[in-house]
Amino acid sequence: MFHPDFKTRKPGTGAALFAATLFALATPGAHAQQQPSAQPAQPAAAPKPQAEQKPPPPSWQQGRTPEQASSTLHPFAIHVTGKAAKELPVDKLKVPAGFKVEVWAEGIPAARSLALGDKGTVFVGTRQAKDVYAVVDRGGKREVKTILKGLDTPNGVVFSKGTLYVAERHRITRYDGIEDKLDSPPEAKVVIDGLDPSKQPGHFWKFLALGPDGKLYFNIGAPGNIVMPNYMQGSIMRVDPVKGVLENVVLGVRNSVGFDWHPKTKELWFTNHGRDWLGDDSPNDTLHRVAKTGVHFGYPFCHQGDTLDPEYGKNRSCSEFTPPALKLGAHVAPIGMRFYTGKMFPAEYRDNIFIALRGSWNRTVKQGYNVTRVSFDKGKPKMEPFLRGFLQDPKADPPMWGRPADVLVMRDGSLLVSDDHNGIIYRVSYGKK
Amino acid sequence: MNGSRGNSGAAAMFAAAVLFLFACAALAADGIPRKAASCIICHGAGGNSTDPAMPSLAGQPAQFISTQLYLFREGNRKDAQMTPIASGLSNADMNELAAYFSSQKPAAPSRKTAPENAAAGRRLAEQHHCVQCHGPALLGLQHIPRLAGQQFAYLKTQLRGFKAGIRYDTDGNMTSAVQRLSEADIEVLADYLAGLK
Repeated sequence: MFHPDFKTRKPGTGAALFAATLFALATPGAHAQQQPSAQPAQPAAAPKPQAEQKPPPPSWQQGRTPEQASSTLHPFAIHVTGKAAKELPVDKLKVPAGFKVEVWAEGIPAARSLALGDKGTVFVGTRQAKDVYAVVDRGGKREVKTILKGLDTPNGVVFSKGTLYVAERHRITRYDGIEDKLDSPPEAKVVIDGLDPSKQPGHFWKFLALGPDGKLYFNIGAPGNIVMPNYMQGSIMRVDPVKGVLENVVLGVRNSVGFDWHPKTKELWFTNHGRDWLGDDSPNDTLHRVAKTGVHFGYPFCHQGDTLDPEYGKNRSCSEFTPPALKLGAHVAPIGMRFYTGKMFPAEYRDNIFIALRGSWNRTVKQGYNVTRVSFDKGKPKMEPFLRGFLQDPKADPPMWGRPADVLVMRDGSLLVSDDHNGIIYRVSYGKK
Repeated sequence: MNGSRGNSGAAAMFAAAVLFLFACAALAADGIPRKAASCIICHGAGGNSTDPAMPSLAGQPAQFISTQLYLFREGNRKDAQMTPIASGLSNADMNELAAYFSSQKPAAPSRKTAPENAAAGRRLAEQHHCVQCHGPALLGLQHIPRLAGQQFAYLKTQLRGFKAGIRYDTDGNMTSAVQRLSEADIEVLADYLAGLK
């Protein structure tokens, strides 16, 4: 009903349902193991509704209104075997004047979170594959190695003091001395386990980042689109990698899969995905500043700091929750974010935030699909697109050919951008480099 | 692919071996991916299956084919025949096979829908939201397969597998969608889809 390309018909009327039932019952050749309960004495009797037998819908459909049941909006699946850059319109990518964008490495299917090793290795986590990669620069040619295989949603990667930390769905592990052992990685050592007690569908892939306090920060998202989180969901948590003790950092976060610390104030900032099925323009996905740990950002009661949820927001007020620092647009799916700490880009980019917008899918006319720059005007954040061209036709299915997923500031000040849809990493540079 | 095969054992093996040799020679000459030679033994020339238990690949969306091959290789989707075949394929092989079979023209359906199932099957396809993801003409798109003209027995095996929770399902969508289909519904729906052009 939403999709312009699909002429979806209304689900069957009562008469059609009745007729279909008759046909179904009258069809010969039904197998012997057919349940006996489906044999009413009178063929004309309406079948009993089987709502109680119906399993829950997929988590991305949860929260649809009855009117949205025939919506053709759907999340987009990645090319899990990757796509070659030469098959893609990479020449359509645009950056501001003076900047340059190029393909940095390819053949990295599902490439998502990025981390930089001391010796220049770029580690790449995946959400829809089971692999962790290492990309090594050899004299201007990038070599891609699959260093870890068969993991459970190894989305989060962090490098610190020679060690690679990997966040899977259920645990965080460490691989010591990894950069010297890319061809024979050491066995995983468990930092913390038991992070997925429900083992149910939901936003349980994890972004991972190392805080200035030396602790590992990660998200445990909401179990569905709009569902009451349990005691450890809808949060950003942290763990001391030595002691293995967990702490809540913030609550009321539907799903954050990108965070970083301000280079000067050392405050935590994070991106958050708002709920779906509340309309094309509501609610916004958001950027948040954490002035104080322990605060609640509203989910599932209040969205974007000012919009009560139609169900969970009853009898509540948004004033009890901490509002976002910036609204990023509805359904744009902000993933990775980093403060720009490099020296290559012009001075006004210093301490700006780059955010990879990997959506949208849950709106009729698509938006997003770019890397957005957030700059600060007297402390007030404002946004503008920085790397564009992934979105081809906002009304098409699919609307885009690539999806930015994470960003990484390199030592030379250039910016890497992962695209998990195709398994490609792009590099944005400025000036002659 | 889990469908029961007839006990035509040795003869079928011999025929397959002959076809394989023939196919290898023909493919090498035609610039068709060499690895497609083993595919067409079961999936038919150009990916148009003539075996009701074997799915056609011709005209399937490329992303669907490459994704399924990936899922077989990685052990998510399991099948006695496909799992070992996929285990020897690289991502590049999968993309090449996907590009080839998706560009092949689907043959006219080998099955004719029973007259009484045409309207009833369409209603089931709409009531159970098949058309939402597989498209109004059930031609598939992106990672979602074409159902129109697919083999009858294969369709039934997949629908039953989803219903029983034994067919791998990335996001739970199919498992959820088929729960309210009765065995009789599955017959009607598969008959309708198998005869669709």
